[in-house]
Amino acid sequence: MKRLLSLFLCLIMVISLFTGCTKKEETSGDAAGSSDVIKIGVFEPLTGENGGGGLQELDGIKYANKMYPEVLGKKIELVIVDNKSDKGEATTAVTRLIEKDKVVAIIGSYGSGVSIAAGDIIKNAKIPAMGASCTNPMVTQGNEFYFRACFLDPFQGRVMANYALQQGAKTAAVIMQNGDDYSVGLGNFFIDAFKELTGDEKSIVDVSEFQVNDTDFNAILTNIKAKNPDVIFAPSSATTAPLIIKQARALGIECPIMGGDTWENPAVIDVAGDDAEGIVLSTFFDENDPATEEAKTFVTGYKAELAGKEPIIPAVAALGYDAYLLVRNAIERAGSTDGVAIRNAIAATKDFEGVTGVINFTEEGDADKNIAVIKTVKDGQFVYIDTVEVK
Amino acid sequence: MMKIEKKENNLLKNAVLILIFAAIIVLLDLDIIGDNYVRRVLNLAAIYAIVSVSMNLVNGFTGLFSLGQAGFMAIGAYTVAVFTVPVEARKAIFYIVPQSPLVANIELPFFVALILGGLLAALVAILIGMPVLRLKSDYLAIATLGFSEIIRIVFTNMKTITNGALGIKSIPQMPTMWVFFGAMIISVILIVLLINSSYGRAFKAIREDDIAAEAMGINLFKHKVLSFAIGAFFAGIGGGLLASLLGTVDPKQFYFTMTYNFLLIIVLGGMGSISGTVIASFVVTVGLEVLRFFDDSLVLFGYEVPIFRAGFRMVIFSILLMILVLFFRNGLMGQKELSWKMVGDFFNGKKSPKNNRKGGAA
Repeated sequence: MKRLLSLFLCLIMVISLFTGCTKKEETSGDAAGSSDVIKIGVFEPLTGENGGGGLQELDGIKYANKMYPEVLGKKIELVIVDNKSDKGEATTAVTRLIEKDKVVAIIGSYGSGVSIAAGDIIKNAKIPAMGASCTNPMVTQGNEFYFRACFLDPFQGRVMANYALQQGAKTAAVIMQNGDDYSVGLGNFFIDAFKELTGDEKSIVDVSEFQVNDTDFNAILTNIKAKNPDVIFAPSSATTAPLIIKQARALGIECPIMGGDTWENPAVIDVAGDDAEGIVLSTFFDENDPATEEAKTFVTGYKAELAGKEPIIPAVAALGYDAYLLVRNAIERAGSTDGVAIRNAIAATKDFEGVTGVINFTEEGDADKNIAVIKTVKDGQFVYIDTVEVK
Repeated sequence: MMKIEKKENNLLKNAVLILIFAAIIVLLDLDIIGDNYVRRVLNLAAIYAIVSVSMNLVNGFTGLFSLGQAGFMAIGAYTVAVFTVPVEARKAIFYIVPQSPLVANIELPFFVALILGGLLAALVAILIGMPVLRLKSDYLAIATLGFSEIIRIVFTNMKTITNGALGIKSIPQMPTMWVFFGAMIISVILIVLLINSSYGRAFKAIREDDIAAEAMGINLFKHKVLSFAIGAFFAGIGGGLLASLLGTVDPKQFYFTMTYNFLLIIVLGGMGSISGTVIASFVVTVGLEVLRFFDDSLVLFGYEVPIFRAGFRMVIFSILLMILVLFFRNGLMGQKELSWKMVGDFFNGKKSPKNNRKGGAA
């Protein structure tokens, strides 16, 4: 019995290896021959730590593919691989897209760490990649083949510092999550911008860090209360944010509390309840104030597609949609499926009207966006306050 | 007479087998067969084999239930990352807090940094092992698990050296597979030699019964620390190779869950079997990639089968593991090593003698 079973398992392994090989031959034949399909790889975390965000982004990309299924008269096929929010897995997933599936371009990934890990492989293979929501500057830094559709943490930090100043804040306290590149990056850029704008080194009265999975912020907040800042900036995840907000209000801290794009999540309002009223956050996109024509059609179309699955359109879905359109647009202008040609076409993108604003690329390959949306919470809803333009 | 002939025969078979494997790697390395994808998966499997064998030395051969492997790998990985990234690239990486002048201008060759990483891991293992190795079974597991988390948090907070949560990128890549496979072969040979030496016999004696071992005159403490430190050294080497293969490190990579990958491999391969561990490393790493087609959506007769979606391969993988653990209680190899006799018996249908020792899955 044992012997039979193990032989059987071996057989399965061997057979599946062979099926893998035959598949590969087919695809390589396709790439060389007269194929009528253009393959775009999508690598996203569909399971693991960032699975939720990855799926939202993927939905946006899939919807874009549904809306614009063709380029150069050929059908676009999305090849989707899961990177399990894990770096080792991410590098094999991307290599697989490039070597086995022979994709012409890659979109992804949610989470900067996996994108950075994939960066060198993409660079060496000369296949252009378009990140949707990876905001860490290191993703595109020194990598001419990696682009991204979102704005960066430095920009977002600057936007919030600007906004705080406009509201008359003279001093600020910053709370960051130790061990989280997003939170630490954004917090530091806010500090730099705020100091620069106020011209006062002492304008940041307190900088505190908390650990992952901390739930009690009373020590940090009591300390901040004693320093009495005009505003608190606390970039953090959607699970931590409501805890900070609730505990701050419970301690009697009255000043505005601000956060980054991760706060635009119904969970924040659900958990923080009435305390969430008046929090301020910046985000990529607002469905009530479409920035471009493309955005208007996207909002109505995607709302119908979601059919009430989610109360608001997730910003990452809009970014995924934009990333797809940018790649498709570049392939069209390049007129070929050659990696370098597409890369040059992406770099030459001029005033592209996406859902999240007008997009140009900087030399580093980052979207040179000039708008960010500021939102607040009123009566248990995210409400649009302002679209800020920073130059 | 017969016996000698048979031995020579086996030697010949071994030589042929080794030549075949070497030839495959050479062909892969020269880009004659396979592609980057295959190479990357195999490199990853080789690294996993190094770390798993080192973990098996501690857990399977010395009987210390240690779960600190991720922490030791982090030490090796960060040593390679900090010392091999080109000096001119560092300013761009450390864009929030500049790198401490202590290490900012030191750039070491890859192999020096790799060995240094292993030695640092071993040193830390000795320091941590002295108090912790007085604990037994579950308590030791908890203490080492906690230790690997401490390492990770220390690295998160040493911002001027490790760049904290932002991680380090641009770690130089190795041009050939031989770096990974060479390291694997050397590590495995060294550990096999160690296990067959008098030290190795002492380790096994401690595993079977430490009171009896002590009564026989084995210095328990010395041998436990030795095994722990050597295990940590090779885990550090594995971590350094991983950093070079991925080209980037950050503290989140080294969560304690990473150790479970290696625990899975040694339980699957057989606690106390080196060849089993190496085989299991390759089966698990390659198997996970082979199963990827379960993640794609499958359309049968125009109907999309709903269970074929992202994450499904992990379900299949778990089911296969359960089958293996149910029918091979001691892992693929138990405490035995792969031999020609075993392969022959398997195909001739001879029952191998029942393994009565307790070993295997805990």
